[in-house]
Amino acid sequence: MSAFLDSDLPPDTVPRALAGAADAQEAIYRAFELPVRTLTRRLVPRAAQAEDLAQDVFVEVLQSLGQFDGRGSFAGWVRTITVRVCLMHLRSPWHRGVRWMEGLTPAESAAVPAGVAAAASGQLMDVERALARLGDTARAVVWLHDVEGYTHAEIGALLGGTASFSKSQLARAHLRLRELLEPDGVETSCMPVSTNC
Amino acid sequence: MHARLDELLSLRDGAPVDARVRAHVDGCAECATELTRTESLRAQLRALPAAPAMADDGWAGVEARLAASRRRCARVARIAPVAAAGAVVALGLFATLRVVDPAAPSAERPAPLTVLETDSLDDLRARSQALEALLAAMPERPAVERAGTSVPIESLQAQVQWLDHQLSLADADGRTRAAEQLWRDRVEVMNSLVQLRYLEVQQVVL
Repeated sequence: MSAFLDSDLPPDTVPRALAGAADAQEAIYRAFELPVRTLTRRLVPRAAQAEDLAQDVFVEVLQSLGQFDGRGSFAGWVRTITVRVCLMHLRSPWHRGVRWMEGLTPAESAAVPAGVAAAASGQLMDVERALARLGDTARAVVWLHDVEGYTHAEIGALLGGTASFSKSQLARAHLRLRELLEPDGVETSCMPVSTNC
Repeated sequence: MHARLDELLSLRDGAPVDARVRAHVDGCAECATELTRTESLRAQLRALPAAPAMADDGWAGVEARLAASRRRCARVARIAPVAAAGAVVALGLFATLRVVDPAAPSAERPAPLTVLETDSLDDLRARSQALEALLAAMPERPAVERAGTSVPIESLQAQVQWLDHQLSLADADGRTRAAEQLWRDRVEVMNSLVQLRYLEVQQVVL
Protein backbone atom coordinates (compact mmCIF):
# COMPACT_ATOMS: atom_id res chain seq x y z
CA MET A 1 0.00 0.00 0.00
CA SER A 2 0.99 3.63 -0.24
CA ALA A 3 3.96 4.46 1.95
CA PHE A 4 2.37 7.87 2.52
CA LEU A 5 -0.16 6.26 4.84
CA ASP A 6 2.63 5.35 7.28
CA SER A 7 3.98 8.89 7.49
CA ASP A 8 3.37 10.62 10.77
CA LEU A 9 4.02 14.20 11.79
CA PRO A 10 3.40 16.03 15.09
CA PRO A 11 0.37 18.32 14.65
CA ASP A 12 2.24 21.58 15.26
CA THR A 13 4.92 20.86 12.65
CA VAL A 14 3.15 22.34 9.64
CA PRO A 15 2.23 25.67 11.30
CA ARG A 16 5.76 25.97 12.64
CA ALA A 17 7.28 25.21 9.23
CA LEU A 18 4.94 27.77 7.69
CA ALA A 19 6.21 30.32 10.19
CA GLY A 20 9.74 29.60 8.96
CA ALA A 21 11.07 27.23 11.65
CA ALA A 22 13.94 25.38 9.96
CA ASP A 23 13.70 22.36 12.27
CA ALA A 24 10.00 21.92 11.41
CA GLN A 25 10.75 22.17 7.68
CA GLU A 26 13.44 19.54 8.08
CA ALA A 27 11.01 17.37 10.07
CA ILE A 28 8.60 17.47 7.13
CA TYR A 29 11.41 16.41 4.82
CA ARG A 30 12.46 13.56 7.13
CA ALA A 31 8.87 12.34 7.53
CA PHE A 32 8.15 12.21 3.81
CA GLU A 33 11.55 11.61 2.29
CA LEU A 34 11.04 7.90 1.76
CA PRO A 35 7.47 7.92 0.37
CA VAL A 36 8.21 10.86 -1.93
CA ARG A 37 11.43 9.34 -3.25
CA THR A 38 9.78 5.95 -3.67
CA LEU A 39 6.86 7.43 -5.60
CA THR A 40 9.07 9.54 -7.88
CA ARG A 41 11.23 6.48 -8.55
CA ARG A 42 8.21 4.40 -9.50
CA LEU A 43 6.75 7.03 -11.82
CA VAL A 44 10.10 8.12 -13.31
CA PRO A 45 12.41 5.12 -13.61
CA ARG A 46 15.59 7.06 -14.34
CA ALA A 47 17.06 7.25 -10.85
CA ALA A 48 18.90 10.57 -11.22
CA GLN A 49 15.81 12.33 -12.61
CA ALA A 50 13.62 10.80 -9.93
CA GLU A 51 15.91 12.04 -7.14
CA ASP A 52 16.02 15.48 -8.74
CA LEU A 53 12.23 15.56 -8.93
CA ALA A 54 11.93 14.45 -5.30
CA GLN A 55 13.92 17.54 -4.29
CA ASP A 56 11.68 19.69 -6.50
CA VAL A 57 8.69 18.22 -4.68
CA PHE A 58 10.03 19.26 -1.27
CA VAL A 59 10.86 22.75 -2.50
CA GLU A 60 7.29 23.08 -3.76
CA VAL A 61 5.80 21.57 -0.60
CA LEU A 62 7.74 23.91 1.69
CA GLN A 63 7.07 26.95 -0.47
CA SER A 64 3.36 26.17 -0.75
CA LEU A 65 2.62 25.33 2.88
CA GLY A 66 0.32 28.34 3.06
CA GLN A 67 -1.91 26.71 0.47
CA PHE A 68 -2.53 23.59 2.56
CA ASP A 69 -6.05 24.20 3.82
CA GLY A 70 -6.22 21.21 6.16
CA ARG A 71 -9.31 19.75 4.49
CA GLY A 72 -7.54 16.45 3.76
CA SER A 73 -4.50 14.82 5.29
CA PHE A 74 -1.15 16.53 4.97
CA ALA A 75 0.33 13.27 3.67
CA GLY A 76 -2.30 13.20 0.91
CA TRP A 77 -1.49 16.80 0.00
CA VAL A 78 2.24 15.99 -0.26
CA ARG A 79 1.42 12.94 -2.37
CA THR A 80 -0.73 15.03 -4.72
CA ILE A 81 2.14 17.47 -5.26
CA THR A 82 4.52 14.56 -5.87
CA VAL A 83 2.24 13.05 -8.50
CA ARG A 84 1.69 16.43 -10.18
CA VAL A 85 5.42 17.19 -10.34
CA CYS A 86 6.17 13.76 -11.83
CA LEU A 87 3.38 13.95 -14.42
CA MET A 88 4.43 17.46 -15.44
CA HIS A 89 7.96 16.14 -15.93
CA LEU A 90 6.79 13.17 -17.99
CA ARG A 91 4.80 15.55 -20.22
CA SER A 92 7.61 18.06 -20.58
CA PRO A 93 9.11 18.71 -24.00
CA TRP A 94 12.53 18.05 -22.50
CA HIS A 95 11.59 14.54 -21.32
CA ARG A 96 9.89 13.72 -24.60
CA GLY A 97 12.85 15.11 -26.52
CA VAL A 98 15.28 12.92 -24.62
CA ARG A 99 13.17 9.85 -25.35
CA TRP A 100 12.95 10.77 -29.01
CA MET A 101 16.69 11.35 -29.31
CA GLU A 102 17.58 8.13 -27.56
CA GLY A 103 15.08 6.19 -29.61
CA LEU A 104 14.28 4.16 -26.52
CA THR A 105 11.38 3.73 -24.23
CA PRO A 106 12.30 5.14 -20.81
CA ALA A 107 12.33 1.69 -19.38
CA GLU A 108 14.83 0.27 -21.79
CA SER A 109 17.48 2.59 -20.43
CA ALA A 110 16.26 2.54 -16.85
CA ALA A 111 18.50 0.72 -14.47
CA VAL A 112 17.23 -0.89 -11.31
CA PRO A 113 19.28 0.51 -8.40
CA ALA A 114 21.98 -1.79 -7.12
CA GLY A 115 20.79 -1.49 -3.53
CA VAL A 116 17.36 -2.65 -4.52
CA ALA A 117 18.82 -5.47 -6.56
CA ALA A 118 20.62 -6.79 -3.54
CA ALA A 119 17.64 -6.43 -1.24
CA ALA A 120 14.84 -7.82 -3.34
CA SER A 121 14.08 -11.39 -4.19
CA GLY A 122 14.40 -12.62 -7.75
CA GLN A 123 10.66 -12.45 -8.36
CA LEU A 124 10.33 -8.90 -7.03
CA MET A 125 13.26 -7.85 -9.16
CA ASP A 126 11.38 -9.11 -12.17
CA VAL A 127 8.32 -7.10 -11.24
CA GLU A 128 10.42 -3.98 -10.72
CA ARG A 129 12.12 -4.34 -14.08
CA ALA A 130 8.83 -5.07 -15.81
CA LEU A 131 7.22 -2.00 -14.23
CA ALA A 132 10.12 0.16 -15.40
CA ARG A 133 9.65 -1.13 -18.94
CA LEU A 134 6.07 0.06 -19.23
CA GLY A 135 5.29 3.29 -21.06
CA ASP A 136 5.04 6.44 -18.94
CA THR A 137 1.24 6.54 -18.89
CA ALA A 138 0.67 2.83 -18.27
CA ARG A 139 3.25 2.81 -15.48
CA ALA A 140 1.69 5.84 -13.82
CA VAL A 141 -1.80 4.37 -14.05
CA VAL A 142 -0.91 0.94 -12.68
CA TRP A 143 1.11 2.38 -9.80
CA LEU A 144 -1.37 5.09 -8.85
CA HIS A 145 -4.30 2.67 -8.97
CA ASP A 146 -2.92 -0.63 -7.67
CA VAL A 147 -0.49 0.73 -5.08
CA GLU A 148 -1.42 4.31 -4.18
CA GLY A 149 -5.16 3.58 -4.29
CA TYR A 150 -6.26 6.36 -6.66
CA THR A 151 -9.64 5.83 -8.31
CA HIS A 152 -9.99 5.68 -12.09
CA ALA A 153 -11.84 9.00 -12.03
CA GLU A 154 -8.96 10.65 -10.14
CA ILE A 155 -6.36 9.20 -12.47
CA GLY A 156 -8.38 10.21 -15.52
CA ALA A 157 -8.54 13.78 -14.25
CA LEU A 158 -4.81 13.85 -13.51
CA LEU A 159 -4.02 12.66 -17.02
CA GLY A 160 -6.52 14.94 -18.70
CA GLY A 161 -8.64 11.95 -19.70
CA THR A 162 -11.59 9.97 -18.44
CA ALA A 163 -12.13 7.11 -16.00
CA SER A 164 -12.56 4.81 -19.01
CA PHE A 165 -9.17 5.87 -20.31
CA SER A 166 -7.64 4.99 -16.96
CA LYS A 167 -9.38 1.59 -16.90
CA SER A 168 -8.20 0.82 -20.38
CA GLN A 169 -4.63 1.83 -19.52
CA LEU A 170 -4.71 -0.33 -16.38
CA ALA A 171 -5.81 -3.39 -18.35
CA ARG A 172 -3.12 -2.77 -20.94
CA ALA A 173 -0.52 -2.31 -18.23
CA HIS A 174 -1.51 -5.61 -16.59
CA LEU A 175 -1.36 -7.41 -19.89
CA ARG A 176 2.07 -5.95 -20.68
CA LEU A 177 3.36 -6.81 -17.22
CA ARG A 178 2.21 -10.40 -17.71
CA GLU A 179 3.95 -10.54 -21.06
CA LEU A 180 7.15 -9.34 -19.45
CA LEU A 181 6.90 -11.54 -16.37
CA GLU A 182 5.62 -14.70 -18.04
CA PRO A 183 6.75 -14.51 -21.66
CA ASP A 184 5.38 -17.98 -22.41
CA GLY A 185 2.36 -17.94 -20.18
CA VAL A 186 0.12 -15.17 -21.48
CA GLU A 187 -2.90 -16.40 -23.33
CA THR A 188 -4.14 -13.38 -25.19
CA SER A 189 -6.60 -15.22 -27.39
CA CYS A 190 -9.28 -15.39 -24.74
CA MET A 191 -8.14 -12.37 -22.74
CA PRO A 192 -9.15 -9.23 -24.61
CA VAL A 193 -8.07 -6.15 -22.70
CA SER A 194 -11.29 -4.16 -22.94
CA THR A 195 -13.92 -2.97 -25.31
CA ASN A 196 -12.42 0.54 -25.22
CA CYS A 197 -9.22 -0.36 -27.05
CA MET B 1 -16.94 -16.36 -23.63
CA HIS B 2 -14.37 -15.63 -20.94
CA ALA B 3 -14.30 -12.40 -18.95
CA ARG B 4 -12.18 -9.58 -20.32
CA LEU B 5 -9.16 -8.39 -18.37
CA ASP B 6 -10.77 -5.03 -17.57
CA GLU B 7 -13.81 -6.88 -16.20
CA LEU B 8 -11.59 -9.07 -14.04
CA LEU B 9 -9.79 -5.98 -12.75
CA SER B 10 -13.15 -4.40 -11.90
CA LEU B 11 -14.16 -7.59 -10.07
CA ARG B 12 -10.86 -7.56 -8.19
CA ASP B 13 -11.42 -3.92 -7.15
CA GLY B 14 -15.03 -4.47 -6.11
CA ALA B 15 -16.26 -2.15 -8.85
CA PRO B 16 -19.67 -2.69 -10.48
CA VAL B 17 -19.58 -5.52 -13.02
CA ASP B 18 -22.30 -7.11 -15.12
CA ALA B 19 -23.98 -9.88 -13.11
CA ARG B 20 -23.48 -12.31 -16.02
CA VAL B 21 -19.73 -11.73 -15.91
CA ARG B 22 -19.68 -12.29 -12.17
CA ALA B 23 -21.68 -15.51 -12.55
CA HIS B 24 -19.37 -16.71 -15.32
CA VAL B 25 -16.22 -16.09 -13.29
CA ASP B 26 -17.74 -17.90 -10.30
CA GLY B 27 -18.23 -20.97 -12.43
CA CYS B 28 -15.17 -20.80 -14.71
CA ALA B 29 -11.91 -22.18 -13.41
CA GLU B 30 -9.88 -20.38 -16.09
CA CYS B 31 -11.34 -16.97 -15.29
CA ALA B 32 -11.03 -17.60 -11.56
CA THR B 33 -7.33 -18.30 -12.11
CA GLU B 34 -6.96 -15.12 -14.14
CA LEU B 35 -8.66 -13.17 -11.37
CA THR B 36 -6.20 -14.60 -8.86
CA ARG B 37 -3.33 -13.57 -11.11
CA THR B 38 -4.49 -9.95 -11.16
CA GLU B 39 -4.63 -10.02 -7.35
CA SER B 40 -1.20 -11.62 -7.19
CA LEU B 41 0.32 -9.00 -9.50
CA ARG B 42 -1.11 -6.19 -7.39
CA ALA B 43 0.31 -7.83 -4.26
CA GLN B 44 3.73 -8.08 -5.91
CA LEU B 45 3.63 -4.40 -6.88
CA ARG B 46 2.73 -3.43 -3.33
CA ALA B 47 5.55 -5.57 -1.99
CA LEU B 48 8.21 -3.78 -4.03
CA PRO B 49 10.88 -2.24 -1.79
CA ALA B 50 11.04 1.47 -0.97
CA ALA B 51 13.65 3.66 -2.62
CA PRO B 52 17.17 2.86 -1.43
CA ALA B 53 18.89 5.23 0.99
CA MET B 54 20.58 8.22 -0.62
CA ALA B 55 24.35 8.51 -0.60
CA ASP B 56 24.11 12.21 0.27
CA ASP B 57 21.88 14.02 2.71
CA GLY B 58 18.94 15.06 0.58
CA TRP B 59 17.88 17.76 3.04
CA ALA B 60 21.06 19.74 2.28
CA GLY B 61 20.07 19.71 -1.38
CA VAL B 62 16.54 20.88 -0.62
CA GLU B 63 17.86 23.66 1.62
CA ALA B 64 20.20 24.81 -1.14
CA ARG B 65 17.32 24.90 -3.64
CA LEU B 66 15.13 26.81 -1.21
CA ALA B 67 17.88 29.38 -0.67
CA ALA B 68 18.43 29.71 -4.43
CA SER B 69 14.70 30.14 -4.95
CA ARG B 70 14.53 32.89 -2.31
CA ARG B 71 17.44 34.71 -3.96
CA ARG B 72 15.75 34.38 -7.34
CA CYS B 73 12.46 35.73 -5.97
CA ALA B 74 14.26 38.70 -4.42
CA ARG B 75 16.02 39.43 -7.71
CA VAL B 76 12.79 39.10 -9.67
CA ALA B 77 11.04 41.44 -7.25
CA ARG B 78 13.73 44.04 -7.87
CA ILE B 79 13.58 43.86 -11.66
CA ALA B 80 9.86 43.17 -11.98
CA PRO B 81 8.81 46.78 -12.66
CA VAL B 82 11.46 47.10 -15.39
CA ALA B 83 10.55 43.74 -16.90
CA ALA B 84 6.85 44.59 -16.87
CA ALA B 85 7.53 47.90 -18.59
CA GLY B 86 9.68 46.11 -21.16
CA ALA B 87 6.95 43.59 -21.80
CA VAL B 88 4.39 46.36 -22.35
CA VAL B 89 6.74 48.14 -24.79
CA ALA B 90 7.42 44.87 -26.63
CA LEU B 91 3.71 44.10 -26.87
CA GLY B 92 3.01 47.58 -28.17
CA LEU B 93 5.81 47.34 -30.71
CA PHE B 94 4.66 43.97 -31.88
CA ALA B 95 1.06 45.11 -32.22
CA THR B 96 2.19 48.21 -34.15
CA LEU B 97 4.19 46.12 -36.56
CA ARG B 98 1.19 43.92 -37.16
CA VAL B 99 -0.95 46.98 -37.91
CA VAL B 100 1.61 48.53 -40.28
CA ASP B 101 2.28 45.31 -42.19
CA PRO B 102 -0.01 42.46 -41.24
CA ALA B 103 1.80 40.04 -43.54
CA ALA B 104 5.22 40.70 -42.11
CA PRO B 105 6.37 37.52 -40.45
CA SER B 106 9.36 39.16 -38.76
CA ALA B 107 8.70 41.10 -35.58
CA GLU B 108 10.38 42.08 -32.37
CA ARG B 109 10.84 39.12 -30.13
CA PRO B 110 8.25 39.41 -27.36
CA ALA B 111 9.78 39.76 -23.93
CA PRO B 112 8.69 37.03 -21.54
CA LEU B 113 6.25 38.17 -18.88
CA THR B 114 7.47 37.70 -15.34
CA VAL B 115 5.42 35.53 -13.00
CA LEU B 116 5.65 36.55 -9.36
CA GLU B 117 4.69 34.54 -6.32
CA THR B 118 2.76 37.58 -5.16
CA ASP B 119 0.68 37.85 -8.32
CA SER B 120 -3.03 37.65 -7.66
CA LEU B 121 -5.46 35.46 -9.56
CA ASP B 122 -6.64 38.48 -11.55
CA ASP B 123 -3.04 39.43 -12.42
CA LEU B 124 -2.33 35.91 -13.62
CA ARG B 125 -5.51 35.80 -15.71
CA ALA B 126 -4.65 39.17 -17.26
CA ARG B 127 -1.14 37.99 -18.12
CA SER B 128 -2.50 34.81 -19.61
CA GLN B 129 -4.93 36.81 -21.75
CA ALA B 130 -2.13 39.13 -22.88
CA LEU B 131 -0.10 36.12 -23.99
CA GLU B 132 -3.13 34.65 -25.77
CA ALA B 133 -3.53 37.94 -27.63
CA LEU B 134 0.15 37.94 -28.55
CA LEU B 135 -0.11 34.40 -29.84
CA ALA B 136 -3.23 35.20 -31.85
CA ALA B 137 -1.45 38.15 -33.48
CA MET B 138 1.36 35.95 -34.79
CA PRO B 139 1.27 34.63 -38.36
CA GLU B 140 -0.27 31.23 -38.92
CA ARG B 141 1.95 28.21 -38.45
CA PRO B 142 3.94 27.23 -41.56
CA ALA B 143 2.70 24.45 -43.80
CA VAL B 144 6.10 22.77 -43.55
CA GLU B 145 7.17 22.50 -39.95
CA ARG B 146 10.55 21.93 -38.41
CA ALA B 147 10.75 19.12 -35.85
CA GLY B 148 13.01 21.25 -33.65
CA THR B 149 10.19 23.70 -32.99
CA SER B 150 6.99 21.90 -33.93
CA VAL B 151 7.44 19.02 -31.45
CA PRO B 152 7.91 21.28 -28.41
CA ILE B 153 5.20 23.67 -29.65
CA GLU B 154 2.68 20.85 -29.88
CA SER B 155 3.74 19.57 -26.50
CA LEU B 156 3.27 23.04 -24.96
CA GLN B 157 -0.13 23.33 -26.60
CA ALA B 158 -1.05 19.98 -25.06
CA GLN B 159 0.13 21.25 -21.68
CA VAL B 160 -2.06 24.34 -22.03
CA GLN B 161 -5.03 22.10 -22.83
CA TRP B 162 -4.29 19.93 -19.84
CA LEU B 163 -3.96 22.98 -17.58
CA ASP B 164 -7.26 24.33 -18.90
CA HIS B 165 -8.88 21.02 -18.06
CA GLN B 166 -7.41 21.10 -14.55
CA LEU B 167 -8.53 24.71 -14.17
CA SER B 168 -12.08 23.79 -15.07
CA LEU B 169 -11.99 21.08 -12.38
CA ALA B 170 -10.46 23.43 -9.82
CA ASP B 171 -13.07 26.10 -10.62
CA ALA B 172 -15.87 23.54 -10.33
CA ASP B 173 -14.58 22.40 -6.92
CA GLY B 174 -13.99 25.97 -5.73
CA ARG B 175 -10.29 25.26 -5.11
CA THR B 176 -8.99 28.82 -5.37
CA ARG B 177 -5.45 28.12 -4.27
CA ALA B 178 -5.04 25.23 -6.65
CA ALA B 179 -6.45 27.41 -9.42
CA GLU B 180 -3.92 30.13 -8.61
CA GLN B 181 -1.03 27.68 -9.01
CA LEU B 182 -2.53 26.36 -12.25
CA TRP B 183 -2.87 29.90 -13.63
CA ARG B 184 0.75 30.53 -12.66
CA ASP B 185 1.78 27.36 -14.52
CA ARG B 186 -0.37 28.40 -17.47
CA VAL B 187 1.33 31.80 -17.77
CA GLU B 188 4.74 30.13 -17.71
CA VAL B 189 3.77 27.57 -20.35
CA MET B 190 2.19 30.31 -22.50
CA ASN B 191 5.39 32.33 -22.14
CA SER B 192 7.41 29.43 -23.53
CA LEU B 193 4.87 28.90 -26.29
CA VAL B 194 5.06 32.54 -27.40
CA GLN B 195 8.86 32.41 -27.47
CA LEU B 196 8.87 29.21 -29.52
CA ARG B 197 6.26 30.49 -31.95
CA TYR B 198 8.37 33.59 -32.44
CA LEU B 199 11.35 31.36 -33.16
CA GLU B 200 9.29 29.38 -35.65
CA VAL B 201 8.26 32.57 -37.44
CA GLN B 202 11.88 33.61 -37.68
CA GLN B 203 12.85 30.23 -39.11
CA VAL B 204 10.30 30.68 -41.89
CA VAL B 205 11.77 34.09 -42.70
CA LEU B 206 15.31 32.74 -42.77
